[in-house]
Amino acid sequence: MTLTADTFTYVADLVRTRSAIQLDTGKEYLVESRLLPMARAAGVPDVDTFVRALRATAAPKQIEAVVEALTTNETSWFRDAQPFRALTEHIVPAILGSSSGAFAPSLRIWSAACSSGQEPYSIAMSLEDLLPPNGWRITATDLNEQMLTRARAGRYNQLEMNRGLPVTMLVKHFSRAGTDWEVNPQLRRTISFVRHNLLDPPPTGGPFDVVFLRNVLIYFDLATKRDVLQRVHGVLKPGGYLILGAAETTIGIDDGWERVPVGAGSAYRRTARRAA
Amino acid sequence: MSMDIDIQAFAGADPILAIAEEVFTAMIDGEPGHVLPALSAPELGDPMHAWVDVQGTTSGRVLLSTERATADDLARALLGMEPDEEVSTEDFVDALGEVANVVGGNVKALVPDPGVLTLPQVTQERPPTQDGSQIYELNLDWRGRAVVISLWKLP
Amino acid sequence: MRALVIDDSRTMRRIVSRLLGSLGFETVEAADGREALDVLEGGTHIDLACIDWNMPVMNGLEFVTAVRNNRDWRDMTLMMVTTESEQSQIVRALAAGAHEYLIKPFTPDAVREKLQLLGLVELEESA
Repeated sequence: MTLTADTFTYVADLVRTRSAIQLDTGKEYLVESRLLPMARAAGVPDVDTFVRALRATAAPKQIEAVVEALTTNETSWFRDAQPFRALTEHIVPAILGSSSGAFAPSLRIWSAACSSGQEPYSIAMSLEDLLPPNGWRITATDLNEQMLTRARAGRYNQLEMNRGLPVTMLVKHFSRAGTDWEVNPQLRRTISFVRHNLLDPPPTGGPFDVVFLRNVLIYFDLATKRDVLQRVHGVLKPGGYLILGAAETTIGIDDGWERVPVGAGSAYRRTARRAA
Repeated sequence: MSMDIDIQAFAGADPILAIAEEVFTAMIDGEPGHVLPALSAPELGDPMHAWVDVQGTTSGRVLLSTERATADDLARALLGMEPDEEVSTEDFVDALGEVANVVGGNVKALVPDPGVLTLPQVTQERPPTQDGSQIYELNLDWRGRAVVISLWKLP
Repeated sequence: MRALVIDDSRTMRRIVSRLLGSLGFETVEAADGREALDVLEGGTHIDLACIDWNMPVMNGLEFVTAVRNNRDWRDMTLMMVTTESEQSQIVRALAAGAHEYLIKPFTPDAVREKLQLLGLVELEESA
């Protein structure tokens, strides 16, 4: 059951042109294993036959599904830990402290490029200890429909559950569902999953107090980075916080931000844009 | 406990295949994609069997069967040995037993009222089973080698 | 940092010990809970115990209970590393005094991340 070189080249080209991800020679087994279930579902015995049919029809939906199947990566809960600590120890207290009046505001958070959902669920688990029920609302977006479907389902396999999720959180927020674990409905209810392209106008659900946009800008060129940052600036409340990946910054790209230390790392606060 | 796992209840996804994929990805291959469902049942020459029992009010057995040479390769992969390195009997018995243990423990979590998992056993002889007591069989293709996982009802 | 790896499978002991070694731990191995208690009673200082559940002689849960009942060992971090994965079993282990819980099968990344949660391995920022 080995793939022909022709099939592999075609699939690798498809993935590279659509996702900028490079599948090198030697990754044939990955193509085979990720596409075999799709081939079987389509009623053909092997991946070569499946890909031949795909090339003949060039059905956009199927092509998209193939690219999605080959570009998904596993991720951890509370990835990098620091941003979640910054949120609970610095950012939320600062926002609550600055709000006036007797009514506690409902916090609005955007988790952009949320992939299979570990980030928005980690945000919700962090806030759960800190805020009353209905004290926050998360909008979680991704470009990839298949990822959103997974994130919305909130179902994770054992290997995913082992990745950085404190066992107390597992016991508190998840229930066993067959070989998987499922996030409890109370937590899931606090998140809306919406398909969104970062190059399009921002999603509904704003204006936001905090935007998580981590490890996304690194894939864009300078002009696109600036464009995305300006769109995010537009949907953040004045003084709202942007959290980027550890290797990312607004500095030298867009001047509407003030870098503020939060715990061991930093976040970016929305400031007034300087006149051009 | 009951070993009556309703395979159909898992929305088209075979839970035993999901468990096998996780075990091979994490412990044996270090990456996904090397274990696939095989279309036909293999003939096992020089077979090895490893199993654990789930003991409760009713009991079941999770049996992993493969060829001796494949068991050696599984042991090498688990222990991070070189492809041609000699595998001691102690090593492959322990390694194959641990694979059966991890698969069995995860199968145990699928059943509604789970009991206790026994320590793994490894033999050349297929453990005796009663006719008609097989609940399920999954034929796997691991790097072109046959591995069979089967579930059995115990008296 | 010294870790005690408790598992009746020598394969699993070797896998866990190798991973811990790569994270900077010195490791000691025991094949069941009783052997592990012998190591502790012999005066070897242990920072972290990685504990299988199903073992002959003394199982992991009994070991955790024994450790929690001895004040001399109260600073030791206890992580179950087991194929027992029902929610009720996890709750039992936590109630007995385990700090973390890693379900077999696991990836090397999962071990590192659990030890980061426990503050035993430093966080590295991933890009």
